[in-house]
Amino acid sequence: MKVRREQKIARIKKQKGKKGTPVEAMPNPELGHKLIPKLRYTDTGFAQEEWDKMWKKVWLLGCREDDIPNPGDHYVTEIGNESILIVRQKNKTIKAFYNVCAHRGNRIVHALHEPQLESSNFRCRYHSWEYGIDGKFTDIPDLETFPQGAPDCGGLICMPCDSWGSFVWFSMNKDVEPLKDYLGIIPNHLDPYHFDRMVLTRQVTVEWDCNWKASVDAFNESYHVQGIHPQLLYYLDDLDIQIDCYEKHNRYLIAFGVLSPRVVSPSEIPPPIKHVMREAGMDPASYEGSVYNIRADVQKHKRVHGATQGKDYSSLNDDQLTDDYHYTIFPNVTMNVHADDLMLFRQRPHPDNPNKMLFDYFTYELPDNDFDWETYKKPIHKKFKHGETSLGLVINQDAYNLPFVQKGMNSNGYEGLWLGNQELRIRHFHKTLEDYLEK
Amino acid sequence: MDLNLRGKNVLITGSTQGIGRRIANLFAEEGANVAICSRSPESVNKAIKEISLMADGKIIGSPCNIKNKEEYETWINDMAEELGGVDIFIPNVSAGGGMDSEKNWWKNFEIDVLGTVRGVEAVIPHMELRGGGSIVMISTTAAVETFMAPQSYNAMKAALITYAKQLSQAHGEKGIRVNSVSPGPIYFDGGAWDMIKISNERFYDKTEKTHALGRLGTPEEVAKAVVFLSSSGASWITGVNLVVDGGYTKRVQF
Repeated sequence: MKVRREQKIARIKKQKGKKGTPVEAMPNPELGHKLIPKLRYTDTGFAQEEWDKMWKKVWLLGCREDDIPNPGDHYVTEIGNESILIVRQKNKTIKAFYNVCAHRGNRIVHALHEPQLESSNFRCRYHSWEYGIDGKFTDIPDLETFPQGAPDCGGLICMPCDSWGSFVWFSMNKDVEPLKDYLGIIPNHLDPYHFDRMVLTRQVTVEWDCNWKASVDAFNESYHVQGIHPQLLYYLDDLDIQIDCYEKHNRYLIAFGVLSPRVVSPSEIPPPIKHVMREAGMDPASYEGSVYNIRADVQKHKRVHGATQGKDYSSLNDDQLTDDYHYTIFPNVTMNVHADDLMLFRQRPHPDNPNKMLFDYFTYELPDNDFDWETYKKPIHKKFKHGETSLGLVINQDAYNLPFVQKGMNSNGYEGLWLGNQELRIRHFHKTLEDYLEK
Repeated sequence: MDLNLRGKNVLITGSTQGIGRRIANLFAEEGANVAICSRSPESVNKAIKEISLMADGKIIGSPCNIKNKEEYETWINDMAEELGGVDIFIPNVSAGGGMDSEKNWWKNFEIDVLGTVRGVEAVIPHMELRGGGSIVMISTTAAVETFMAPQSYNAMKAALITYAKQLSQAHGEKGIRVNSVSPGPIYFDGGAWDMIKISNERFYDKTEKTHALGRLGTPEEVAKAVVFLSSSGASWITGVNLVVDGGYTKRVQF
């Protein structure tokens, strides 16, 4: 039965301690109501402009610090047609280089998205040019046959690289602002979760038949829950959501473990809410309270039992123990942040087709006392085409739908995105994109 | 056919919503005096008001937690006294399904099984005083055919069918008939199948197609079967389990 109950989510008004995640609601920015032209999603000319003026200017997520713990450890990531080589240095800092030999342009390291262990130098397999882990030439065979000498660059071309939140970031813009400035409010908001304590549990890349922004959009609003994810109506409140837009980035706070105002309470606790209780160590069968009190009771339970389960929630507020604090770091990182786990999506453009993208899916888990470190093995990064692997029911539902959105966007009968207030984050994302394109 | 329910006194547990509520509504429409209960005083008061609108007879009720033996027996005796006897008893309340822990077994035992047994033992003396009566237990098709998962709900509801049959033999001489009704999947707003319809439409559609009659049942259709079996229209029926499922189950009931 379709309903629209009056429901107000009780939210924490004060952040947890001085260093807790800020909780206050931001005033909604005035971004107008204009149609977002569909060309941004379908046009190769626009994609090129996006590449030149945005992708080459921003900070981008490269890998995780623990992918490359020791000097010489390295990791190759790709963005568009670029391949980036990220290398741990002797002094523990990290450098990022274009993964290209200065001689004839061969890729220096061919392995992709997989941490490569300690290497004392990099040797191009084409003509054996060698580079140190600091990127400088160490050997050019038959150098005397180059009358002009070695290339002036002195080795691999370096680019800005820095770390935050257990992640390594790079930028193809040598004049980019410092990472901390670029991230703005993000470290202040997300440091309390201590991502460095979480372990990687899955990493997958799937090629989707849609523009990368169609994917970012899908995670930036919950208006589509009733259509695409009806089962979540028995798991979260998709209407009373706090949307906060900051300079480049934005977030929304979604209460989990509650019923949507769009459904009525069944006489039994809905299975998805039972799941929330079980994860917290509660027995749904023993629960005597009302379904409307479960979120608060789960918060209390985790607050009391977290420490004995080996989970340190001391810097998180009670809402953070149940809810989804959902952040988008411009341009392409989507973070579903929870006390016990992080589900991170990175949306990458296809190198030459705006109708395709690469969806990177990473999950991290906060280990508790029962976590089996002996059998834990860092998952291998696997790559798939659309439909070849399951990413769980919710993401599968989005993945099924997005190619149809992309097809529709290419239709003569469609002009662009007609956005409502529930989709404010999409509008804000496009505003940030426009700011880059106008520069 | 006259069901002769005018002036009859009916006690129904768990009767402010769902199937129990529809049973109460129908008895009220047929002119019976009806006593209802649930755990929440607000729901009881609201239901009494609403049912009274369609009733000729007396509609009464009070909050009662069936799990508490004394509270339950007090409710039965209070209701019997207020109505002036008991003719019909429908132990309807259930703890529902679930496979969360052993606790589910305890809950179904306490609510579904003991909630029936204690009620029956408390009403039989009242029925004896009136020279007869009728009891209809609410079981489920999940008791007679494999359904969903091996959960306590299915097994405990099965116990009621056997219990009803034996009671019918033991109390037949006193003019007390005992039957059970086993509904299949029933749709109503706010019910379990409402949630399934919203959250897993494909499974819902598949379930609909499994029914010989091509749809899920309504609580009113279950109520009709319960009210009929309770009435003098079913005077020669005792010890049966009436499957009310639109052809959902496939077994032959020899």
